[in-house]
Amino acid sequence: MTASHAITAPGGRTRRRRGLGRLRGVAIAVVTLIFVLPVVWMFAAAFKTNVQVTDPRVGLWFSPTLENFRNIVEAGHILRSMGNSLLVGVVSTVLSAVIAVPAAWAVGRFRMHRTGSLILVARIVPAISLLVPWYYLFAQIGLVGSYTVLILSQMFVSVPLIMWIMISFFAGLPVELEEAGRTDGLSAFGAFWRITLPLAAPGTATASLLAFVFSWNNFMFALVFADDRTQTVPVALFNFISYASTDWGGLMAAATLITVPVVVAAVVGQKYLVAGLTSGASKG
Amino acid sequence: MSTSSQLLSRRGFGRLAAGAAAAVGAGALGACSRGGGKPLADTPLRIMAINHVWSQAVRPRLKEFEERVGRRVSMTLLTADQLASSYNVKLNASATDVDVMMVRALQEQPVFAHNGWLTDLTDRVHGDAEFDWQDFQKAPRGASETKGRVLSVPVVTERPALYYRKDLADPPGTLDELMDASVRLTDPGKGFFGYVGRGQRSGAVSQWSSYLYSYGGDFVVNGRSGIGSRAATAAYEYYGRLLHEAGPPGATNMSLEQAMPIFAQGKAAFYIDADAIYSSFLDPGISSVGKAVGFAPFPAGPAGPRPHNIPSWSLGINTFSRLRDEAWEFIRWAAGPDMAAELQSAGIPCARQSVWSDPKTLASFPPDLAEAMRINAERGIGHDRPQVLQVGRARDIVGRPLVAGILGKPVKPVIRDADAEFADFLVRDNRHKES
Repeated sequence: MTASHAITAPGGRTRRRRGLGRLRGVAIAVVTLIFVLPVVWMFAAAFKTNVQVTDPRVGLWFSPTLENFRNIVEAGHILRSMGNSLLVGVVSTVLSAVIAVPAAWAVGRFRMHRTGSLILVARIVPAISLLVPWYYLFAQIGLVGSYTVLILSQMFVSVPLIMWIMISFFAGLPVELEEAGRTDGLSAFGAFWRITLPLAAPGTATASLLAFVFSWNNFMFALVFADDRTQTVPVALFNFISYASTDWGGLMAAATLITVPVVVAAVVGQKYLVAGLTSGASKG
Repeated sequence: MSTSSQLLSRRGFGRLAAGAAAAVGAGALGACSRGGGKPLADTPLRIMAINHVWSQAVRPRLKEFEERVGRRVSMTLLTADQLASSYNVKLNASATDVDVMMVRALQEQPVFAHNGWLTDLTDRVHGDAEFDWQDFQKAPRGASETKGRVLSVPVVTERPALYYRKDLADPPGTLDELMDASVRLTDPGKGFFGYVGRGQRSGAVSQWSSYLYSYGGDFVVNGRSGIGSRAATAAYEYYGRLLHEAGPPGATNMSLEQAMPIFAQGKAAFYIDADAIYSSFLDPGISSVGKAVGFAPFPAGPAGPRPHNIPSWSLGINTFSRLRDEAWEFIRWAAGPDMAAELQSAGIPCARQSVWSDPKTLASFPPDLAEAMRINAERGIGHDRPQVLQVGRARDIVGRPLVAGILGKPVKPVIRDADAEFADFLVRDNRHKES
């Protein structure tokens, strides 16, 4: 009995392992399907007429039309809004990185835990609660409707985000490298600039990419602070939703168009993204 | 040995940070000097509007107005919810960068008036013979006033229209006929329903109002809750039964955006909703029913046919605007008799009686729709929701028995609860009004 158990046990374990492997495969497939299906529906709807979009009998087999994309390009406002979003996203991310990366280095290196917690508060405070005072302030300065206000407000989100990713990143880098640089005659900033910062490139790329995606999708600030000339993509999408009807085809085509740059940025930055997200996880 | 002490001291870093903050602050203060004062010649007149066929029709014509006033006009179009959110943020901060505001006289106006955000237009509308305030239809004109002051000018009006399938049924003249025909035509097995309409708790209230009036009820009677009355109970039961027995599944999640495509897809025989959306059924790019759609006035209930006729969207002027005269000029132009005739000729129902009396302006509507709109406008009651300060909350309370009825649950206990809650609400709302 014991002997037979000893013989069958490895086979049973293998079977169990295979069964668990299959179960995991099915679970992954189900989860993937749940996440991918809305995106597939969005892409499909972008090539349908409005009648087809709202008709549940029309699934994924239909004669596609480019009419929705043609309308978007002719109307022009989505392309202009994409340009606005790009400008706000790039400038706010670059400025935020310029401020947040050295700040994160200082907080991480000098163990300024209270300062770090204070910055975390900026992430915790709901942005909507700041809208009225901000609006008042920016209106007094005469900035409402300008790119400046959109960039500044976005930096409120981006700076703490980049800082919090980078603090743990810098904390994970060996301090001896900077000390060696200092011994060779570098200043404190020189050691940061020439030694630490290049090593932190994956983390900076990750944090910047996330900050850009947050900016690209930010709706609330753009809704209140932008005007018709500086409107960004998330607000412009609502031009397809009018009081009595929704242009589903146009909306989905525009959504498809604005998803592409973010997907491209994510694919290009994926290498850094994975490295950046895991590097700060443990200290070497 | 501490690393920090070697590289850069904490105090040193603090000084560095304080210096940077001071530089940023100085920059901001420097920028402050550009704000305030009188508007410059190049300051645009800013209009915030709903993304509606009316705004879409006016926008291309703005060049003409810009030449007239010699000032650039900036028009931002948003959805109704976004517009309300933007107003709340901006006007709470006494914004001067909104001049003309598109508002719903029955939804936002009461609370905006309470907050003092809308300019009193009484003298302007009455003192301008050319503008001819009396030419506006009586019901929308009345709804534009709050505490005796004219705070907005209606530009788009709305009544319920009965949309029906000409190939399947004749237009019912009474609510009983509508019920019978709807139940008879319902065939869930084939995915076809006799009636489709709004069933969402809050969203359904405005359309249900015409049923309520046609049963002889109202939301508020002599300052007290009217939703527990016998007439209101009958209207609740009727509407619940109509959608429960003849409506599509999931009706309680349906507002205009969900109900309209069901009729446009040819899956319902009758649909009652705003007449402003009629073009959605005639456009082959959106609708598959096309020529099979007929239009009829709201059917009669026990108290007769009593639809609402409301100013769905109006124009007001922000109290904090520094371009109030230019804003009034815009309203005179956009809501004037010429523009009203031009827009109604393009199929957008306006608020001026002279325009409705002119057959030329009705030529763009299908004849049966034009007739239905005219009749409904004559019979119309000037509100489609409780006339209170906190309209959203009131709609939530009033809409609760509708949902119970549509789900096939006993309605009377829910009406009793809602009636008591609404009575309490009215007391509190009145206190707010008086504060």
